[in-house]
Amino acid sequence: MSDQAPYEPRIVAFLCNWCTYTGADLAGTSRLQYPPNVRIIRTMCSSAVDPVYVLKPLMEGADGVLIGGCHPGDCHYQTGNYKTRRRYVALQEILKASGIDERRVWLRWISASEGTKFAATINDMVTAIKDLGPNPARLDWAA
Amino acid sequence: MKTVIPVENNDVLGAVRGFLGRLFEAGVIEALFVPLEADSGSVLPALVADPARLALANPLAPVMPINGARAVSALTGKQAPAKLGAVLRPCEIRALVELVKLQQATLEGVTLIGVDCPGTFEVKDFAAKNGKAALPGFLAAAHDGLEPTLDGVAVRPACQMCLTPEPQHAAVHLELFGVDTAQGIPATMTDELAARLGLSDRPAPANGRQAALDTLMARRTEARQKELAGIRAKMHANGGLGSLFATCIRCHNCMTACPICYCKTCLFKSTSFDHKPEQYLNAAKRKGALRMLSDTMLFQVTRMNHMSTSCVSCGMCTSACPSDIPVGAIFSAVGEQVQTAFGYQPGRDLAEPLPLVTFHESEWTEVGESK
Repeated sequence: MSDQAPYEPRIVAFLCNWCTYTGADLAGTSRLQYPPNVRIIRTMCSSAVDPVYVLKPLMEGADGVLIGGCHPGDCHYQTGNYKTRRRYVALQEILKASGIDERRVWLRWISASEGTKFAATINDMVTAIKDLGPNPARLDWAA
Repeated sequence: MKTVIPVENNDVLGAVRGFLGRLFEAGVIEALFVPLEADSGSVLPALVADPARLALANPLAPVMPINGARAVSALTGKQAPAKLGAVLRPCEIRALVELVKLQQATLEGVTLIGVDCPGTFEVKDFAAKNGKAALPGFLAAAHDGLEPTLDGVAVRPACQMCLTPEPQHAAVHLELFGVDTAQGIPATMTDELAARLGLSDRPAPANGRQAALDTLMARRTEARQKELAGIRAKMHANGGLGSLFATCIRCHNCMTACPICYCKTCLFKSTSFDHKPEQYLNAAKRKGALRMLSDTMLFQVTRMNHMSTSCVSCGMCTSACPSDIPVGAIFSAVGEQVQTAFGYQPGRDLAEPLPLVTFHESEWTEVGESK
């Protein structure tokens, strides 16, 4: 991307197979429009997303990372998303403590039937990340 | 139950050795994890099976080549093979409690002997300055609630800001703070153990323990706040965490020395983050340049995510760092914030589940919802 091109954030999304990924699929089959800034990776459960997989894209220069899971109480594996929630809280604290902008990492509960919510979430996130500007790590060679 | 281990002719070490020997004689233990004096002048942690070897035992030597929790993990696994004893410092016991929760050790059939700890020296300082001979000075420092020094050298940075110098969860607690050890070593132990050793209740004469601890804690609280505030300021300054880890040579010593990092194969010793040659080139083109080897910060911040909830601030990582990075203080600064978020204190209570393996349905209900 050249410096002159308008800034388009790159967002990496880890979506749980049973809810949010299917929700994203529904957004597609329903022909809902949402910005093309998101690269989706399917995981079996939001709790399978180790923080290292959130940190790696952030440090490589991705502008945002989204973790999508089932609503609390609806986890396909009973309690995975409750553990995701705690891990996300820990990650946020660590990002805050270590001076990395924690606003680049989002967690959202989106069910398989919420295609509209998925499209709206991507809209919101792209807007919010545009406001934050490019991730400074994109040009940090020494990390 | 409280008792006093008698000390004759000011031979404190002899009294401790004698007490440890009685644990063998009474059949309380069949083997003991305890530091032994080596010919080289160093003091090395060892598993003693023959009580005759206790002639070299020196659990008072202010040096800590490893966090003993790692050794107890190796010696017990899922089930201790015999009745084991372990003489440990407070930070070693706290790390051991975390390892038990991580299912890497067990306390079943293990008798913990905890010793008050005024601080430990770096291994190289202890060996170079004949630390063994400095026992009287060490005991005097404990008596006064001061940090010991060894020929002008201070204790390890982690010890200078340690707020938990008293052992918890031990079946026997040998007290040093505020104690005139020439008069005997006060010991607190379970009634059952005292009965097996044939010891009767004999409270120690009034001593300056509380005053010594107050002096120590006041100074260390200030030292810890100052150190962690300095680290936090650096993390939030320009360059942030990167400037703190700029001299990291990626030797992974911090991870190897960490008692909590138990994974047999760390992700960062695997090929998970090895890329094809052209991918490095692409990254360099994108950023203009690329530090090699890459992923230094990723390693550090991932380790924070994996172990900082259980970080006991033992500072073995700092001691192991060849680049003098204050790894322990950085992890303590971050760990403190994470632990506070979960109301968790590593090593406090065996019954307290690890923050990341438990949950409550009703907590953080705002997380994951649109703002």
